[in-house]
Amino acid sequence: MDKISQNRKNFFIYFFILLIMTVFAIGVRRTELLSSWQESGMADFFLGFVLLTAYISAQMLKMFQLPLLSGYIFAGILAGPYVSSFLTADMVDRLRLVDDLALSFIALTAGGALHLSFLKKKIKAIMLNIGLQTLIVFSLVLMFMLFWGKQFNLIQSLSSVQMISLAILLGVTAIARSPSSTIAIISECRAEGPFTETVLGVTITIDVLIIVLYTLALAVIQIIFSGGSMLHQQALTALLVELTISLLFGAAIGKGISFYIERAGHDLPLFLLFIAFGISKTSLWLGHFMQEHFIYHLHLEPLLICMSAGFTIQNFSRSGSLFMESLERVSLPIYVLFFSLAGAALNLDALLICWPLALFVVGVRALGIFSASWIAGTINRDDPRQNRHAWMAYLTQAGVTIGLAQITERQFPEIGVYLTTVVLAVISVNQIIGPITFKAALNRLGEARNV
Amino acid sequence: MKVFFALLIIIFLAFSGYHLTFRKFRLPHFTRTFYLTGTEFLFLGLLLGPEFLNLFDAQTARGLEPLSALLLGWIGLLFGFQFEVSKLRRFPFEFLIAAVAEGLLTFIPVFLGAYLTLSFFQNIPETLKIIQSLALAAIAACTAQTSLAILAPGTDAQHRKLLTLLRYISSIDGLIAMLIFVLVFLFRPLWFAEASWTGELQWGIFIIIGACAGLLLYALFLSQRRPETELILVVIGMAVLISGLASVLNFSPLLSNFFIGFCLVNFSREKERIFNMLISVEKPVYLLILVLLGINWRFDSGWIFLLAAAYCLFRLLGKVLGGLTIKHLSPELKNHPSQLGFGLLDSGGLALAILLDFQQGFPCPITHQVISLALLSAIYCNLLSPVLLGRLLKADQ
Repeated sequence: MDKISQNRKNFFIYFFILLIMTVFAIGVRRTELLSSWQESGMADFFLGFVLLTAYISAQMLKMFQLPLLSGYIFAGILAGPYVSSFLTADMVDRLRLVDDLALSFIALTAGGALHLSFLKKKIKAIMLNIGLQTLIVFSLVLMFMLFWGKQFNLIQSLSSVQMISLAILLGVTAIARSPSSTIAIISECRAEGPFTETVLGVTITIDVLIIVLYTLALAVIQIIFSGGSMLHQQALTALLVELTISLLFGAAIGKGISFYIERAGHDLPLFLLFIAFGISKTSLWLGHFMQEHFIYHLHLEPLLICMSAGFTIQNFSRSGSLFMESLERVSLPIYVLFFSLAGAALNLDALLICWPLALFVVGVRALGIFSASWIAGTINRDDPRQNRHAWMAYLTQAGVTIGLAQITERQFPEIGVYLTTVVLAVISVNQIIGPITFKAALNRLGEARNV
Repeated sequence: MKVFFALLIIIFLAFSGYHLTFRKFRLPHFTRTFYLTGTEFLFLGLLLGPEFLNLFDAQTARGLEPLSALLLGWIGLLFGFQFEVSKLRRFPFEFLIAAVAEGLLTFIPVFLGAYLTLSFFQNIPETLKIIQSLALAAIAACTAQTSLAILAPGTDAQHRKLLTLLRYISSIDGLIAMLIFVLVFLFRPLWFAEASWTGELQWGIFIIIGACAGLLLYALFLSQRRPETELILVVIGMAVLISGLASVLNFSPLLSNFFIGFCLVNFSREKERIFNMLISVEKPVYLLILVLLGINWRFDSGWIFLLAAAYCLFRLLGKVLGGLTIKHLSPELKNHPSQLGFGLLDSGGLALAILLDFQQGFPCPITHQVISLALLSAIYCNLLSPVLLGRLLKADQ
């Protein structure tokens, strides 16, 4: 059987599976639930449903040369609370722990994907990209919001102070990327090469940097709102302490994991599951404990801890390859789960409310990324073809950005609600187009091995 | 008390880490049984649960429900895969009868014993007493092979026939346990109170439709050969989906997946690959079940230790009765010693999976007692088992 007819046959099989599952899901959705056991059963059923439909959708999209990741996200959107409501908001919330576990796994992979030798080799390109992208993207989004922000209905009523604050925060969030999406696409395409390495280095480093930048931005806004003139030194010191502790804690855990791999090595996925669970729970517990007993809120960043652990195993032990192999073996279900849940959590209502503003921000951000990566590539004397396509790799955006917007909403409710709405809408667009453009860039630059 | 337990757990965990790290280290016999059954993971669960660190609060437990569904589905599938008809046929038919008889004869004394003892100790509705007793009987009916696995080298050759029979029974008698466990779902309070003939029929039809749809989906997914990572995803997705569907339909996730596993092993071309995948993480799955059960372990009263001992005795009685009966089933089995039941005392993975399924399906105050009883009894049985197996082997000489 030739490839085209095989593809056609597969397409029909997948379509048939989707059809059966949808009919099945509609039937189950109508069941009257009388106990909590049935409710949790319903959540489990739809979790399985999303996993399988996301996988099937991705396989169908793959036939059209689209990334698998987009299939997972689309399936999540379709099954989520804003379209079919198969997965309700409550179910998505119920699955938050599974989501956190998946994110910890992804962060371990991200850290493990960073090779110190490569970082040393590429340090100039990475630093240049980070510096320019931070500066140009932030400035362009800030300017756009300051000069044209008032043209949009949603934020017309904001005062000047509020508008400046919103512009600063939107500018900072525009810098953020999605390391999980980047890693997933690289892993899917089995991409290798200088471009892939630079993108990975830039994306992961920015994800750490963004936390620092955002805290700085919040401190500045605090000053603007209170009319004061002093930067909150205490907040900055606390942030630095937290970041350092997170990195050191992660390094210690990484050493522990590598010791385990070298000495025992069996049941590694289970061991890593325990570690991932332990990290996310311990960070939370420690925060509560410090708050309760020392009236000091210590927020350790689980993502950073996991990244640091993965980085330590890869670069300061002999078990890096075994560790990555173990993660790779279970990576597919984790990616599917994480991204389909991310798709289900995308706020389409927000997009509906502010799509014109969101589209402009997406456009301005893309322009900023294009300019920054082109200039960085030119200074670094990279291949001109790479310079033209580099921007396509940096569009994805998720995860930490939502978390940051939510923190703002709690701290500055006056502007937080607008920020969250716009950020969610921007992420919805970027998360849909970002993986597609990144895969296309890898294909065009010939670094995708799995075309 | 808490400090003592915390100290105990830390010692267990330290030993456990040592055991995991230096596998070649020869532990004393008692400790080996302890580690082979993964009992230290029960204590890990206890440590993480509300009795001590409370890392698994109600919200976390809620978040981990999909994991429980997956674990139950996984064990159900794996157990279903043990019933490949063509392989079962290689053994004499008497073995099958022996396994069924042993399972049934363990069920009867444990059910009656549990029912009468609980009637004396608890003032709960009749239906709940029956449910509790049925669950305990189902758990008691299945056997593990832990002690058989740590027999000294050379024992196999010396007692080949006896050990083959014991291994066969301990891998098949879980079927009876599963069938008894079906009865637990028929007695669900909700159904019991409102059940009508048509309602039960409708329930049965829904479960059959669900199982058929599950099989059809599996058939479609397996219609082409997939890479291992994709196969893992399909099996995980299907296990969670079927477990969830079973819960929505007020049925057991374990039983539903067992049925699917049984069909797959007998009709699918991909059975070898799926089995290899399922078995490759059998131990982690089992250990996770132990941790999840440990979390729900409670020591509300000292009586629980005595009640567990009584439950263990009822189980032993059932096993001994079963062994005696097997001996008289056919001339081929006549040569085995009368103490055959002594070799069937270990309690293992399937029993714990039934317990976890029960915990998920019957979230009421009595569930904690059943869990505590069954877990303590499993520890007692696993400690007694090597001694009694030794006696049986002596008698076989």
